[in-house]
Amino acid sequence: MNIEQLLLAVLTYGCLYSVMTVSLNLQYARGGMINFGTVAYFAAGAYAYAIFTQEPPSGLDQYAFGFNSPWWVGFIAAGVAAFLFAIVTGWPTLRLRGEYLALTTFAFAEVLHSIFLNERRIGNGSVGLSNVNRPDFSWIGMSDNYGFAGAAILLLMFTAFFCHRILASPYGRAIDAVRDDETAAEAVGKDIKRLRFEIFVISAVPVGFAGALYAMITTLVSPGLFTAEVTFFVWIALILGGEHTIKGAIFGTLALILFEEVVRSFNFETVRSAEIAASVEHIMTGIIFIMILRWQPFDRFTKKGAVQ
Amino acid sequence: MTDDILVVNKLTKQFGGLKAVGGQGGLSFNVKRGALVGLIGPNGAGKSTTFNLISGVLEPSSGSVALNGKVISNIKSSEIASHGLGRTFQTPRAFTSLSVLENVMVGAGSTGERLTSVFSGSWRTDEADIKSKAIEVLQQVGLDDRIGDIVANLSGGELRMLEVARQLIRDPEILLLDEPTAGVDPSLQGKLSSILVDLHNEGRTLIVVEHNLHFLLRIADVVIVLQNGELLAEGTPNEIKNDQRVISAYLGDEYAA
Amino acid sequence: MTLIAQYFVTGIVTGCFLILATIGFSLTRRVEGFLNIAHAELLGVSAFVTWGLNVKAAWPFLPSAIFAIIFTAVVGLVVGRLFYDPIRKLGPAVLLISSVGVAYVIGGSVDALVGTGIRTLNIPLATTYRFFGVRITDYQMIVVALAALTGLSLAVFMSKTKIGLAIGAMADNPELAASRGIDILQTSRATWLLSSGLAGLAGVVLALIATLSTDLAFHQILQILAVAILAGLGSLYSVMLAGLIVGIAMDMSVFWIPAGYRPLIAFAVVILVLLVRPEGLSGRKSK
Repeated sequence: MNIEQLLLAVLTYGCLYSVMTVSLNLQYARGGMINFGTVAYFAAGAYAYAIFTQEPPSGLDQYAFGFNSPWWVGFIAAGVAAFLFAIVTGWPTLRLRGEYLALTTFAFAEVLHSIFLNERRIGNGSVGLSNVNRPDFSWIGMSDNYGFAGAAILLLMFTAFFCHRILASPYGRAIDAVRDDETAAEAVGKDIKRLRFEIFVISAVPVGFAGALYAMITTLVSPGLFTAEVTFFVWIALILGGEHTIKGAIFGTLALILFEEVVRSFNFETVRSAEIAASVEHIMTGIIFIMILRWQPFDRFTKKGAVQ
Repeated sequence: MTDDILVVNKLTKQFGGLKAVGGQGGLSFNVKRGALVGLIGPNGAGKSTTFNLISGVLEPSSGSVALNGKVISNIKSSEIASHGLGRTFQTPRAFTSLSVLENVMVGAGSTGERLTSVFSGSWRTDEADIKSKAIEVLQQVGLDDRIGDIVANLSGGELRMLEVARQLIRDPEILLLDEPTAGVDPSLQGKLSSILVDLHNEGRTLIVVEHNLHFLLRIADVVIVLQNGELLAEGTPNEIKNDQRVISAYLGDEYAA
Repeated sequence: MTLIAQYFVTGIVTGCFLILATIGFSLTRRVEGFLNIAHAELLGVSAFVTWGLNVKAAWPFLPSAIFAIIFTAVVGLVVGRLFYDPIRKLGPAVLLISSVGVAYVIGGSVDALVGTGIRTLNIPLATTYRFFGVRITDYQMIVVALAALTGLSLAVFMSKTKIGLAIGAMADNPELAASRGIDILQTSRATWLLSSGLAGLAGVVLALIATLSTDLAFHQILQILAVAILAGLGSLYSVMLAGLIVGIAMDMSVFWIPAGYRPLIAFAVVILVLLVRPEGLSGRKSK
């Protein structure tokens, strides 16, 4: 792989995953909610896009739905799917805090994964859906690679702008207050349930769009692509970037993607050495993660209530 | 409008087997509009618990609380707050990631707090108003020199005043203050006392929990004494000072303060 | 009818395995105060050390197993002291997030050393017995026996030995334990050793009854979480009961819903318990 391809890949995937990191930043760093189920909204978006844009089933296809719609319908459907799944999973979990919220969101994500894996009529089982419609960039005069990089950048910019507007408004101030001290926030009239629910649901929508974009790029959606690894990747990216700002989230994601793509670009002699490299990358990611958590403690999020 | 802004009726709260508030027939008292009520009692008397029950932090085991005739004991604290009841806490609470000014501004509740309005930008006009009001209120509680500061730099007493400011920007009809003098330098207690008197003169109803009886008995209209979660005595400061039951409950010690 | 009985019996075996896998996790949760996602990776460590010694170094099974358990216990201790102790004060949520990083490190290490692919131990093939129309293998019976033995030994250990009592006291109430003169540091170390050793034991059992692949450990964490959450913060007995319930529920569910959804039962348990009764079976609210 040459430098140009590498940079393009980093840019495309970096921006795409950054959308998820920025969303997580809104949910966790500002909203105080630990969401361990991010991949579910990603998958919901990807599958919705695939289902809406693919052709109706024929021949040996086991899936049941294919609406053959244009890409932008699929894109919107992806956002709606993520939105709906966030409502379904967000509403019951809002009474929970901390590690318990983490577990339920995690469990819900695994439930969705299981459904996609087992319900052949929806997702065509472990094989996945492979006739995903890819929008054509030729009318703008760009090659696919550049087109998708541009799309990813655009999506990230919109998401970042969207989140920034929320955080810079009185709404953002209210969210920060709720995260800092719920009881005190209630004492000034903040409806903490409504605020947390809204943040949880609204931040899932860009993740759904990212899923659609991902489906467009890979033209394949299968359950194997949407495992908890994706969620943990986003978490590590968030922590790496210094978990409080939007810029940090983007930076952390790009750094992590760069790291991964560089490792991937090496030419390995044997399958085994490639495997070892991937494992070492895994280990190093874990170590960096632990180190950052240790030396950049979450002061803000552990001191609740009374100030010393 | 009735004369009683707050009516507490046979209120009880049980934690497991322990009855923290209520005793035999439950706790009952009325608060007249515009009064400055002192709520006193030895440690463990249930004063903060009573505050928590009134402001909705805790749900009563039985009994009711009515604000301006409306029952509030069955609604959540954020709703109660929007009905004109404010409170501060025994240990001061502040939003550590917000600045001092923001800590007060967030109390105001702007239209920008509805998700739908965030993108219309209509809240921007409110922001300027809220900001100036916040500065005004901070001056009122004596935190002029802290206006541009961060929460981490504030002393315990200043944090208390910040809490008061945060409530004041909401213009509450009735304000519950939990131990406002705790942690406040004795030399500043005079200032605090005049702030409370000013609020009183503005027509607000105040209920103040205090251990510093010397401070409280000089400004209160009515004093309510609790012991073991039950009403021990109720009356003017003079009546309470001379009430034998109250004296023996306190063993006379705290009068020296 | 015998089919249901068969699933029930298999469920008990699964449940016993889950008990072994979760007791250590539950201990860490109660004593150290957080959910250690990396616990499941220790099962992988133990399973593959056993395999490595048994297949590659041609050791007989029993010495391989014992070495693996001790090795895993030590690894767990080192990890606990090196990674978790310095950040304990940051709270359970941060520790939970950190344990993901730790899981990456341990899992990555196992992956790097072992590589992908299916592995099996060098042990005699299982013999199947039939009781009242229900089939069970000798290995499965060993699992049940081990679970019962472990439960019993642990109960004795924690009520009769000094260190066991200390661990129990810390699990119930760390502040009280400290004020009663219990050496927190030493007890903490003992807990890491014990819980990791138990994970080691579970890993050996896993090697016995399952085919080994490097992603096996991760799939276990979901079920371990289910059992731990269902058990709540209570004693050993709630873990045993919860393990059996989850195991039996998972295996018997196959009677009604497609087999692919079997792991879903575990997730459903997690969601239901946390929404309906977060304290789990034991009913003890956290501090």
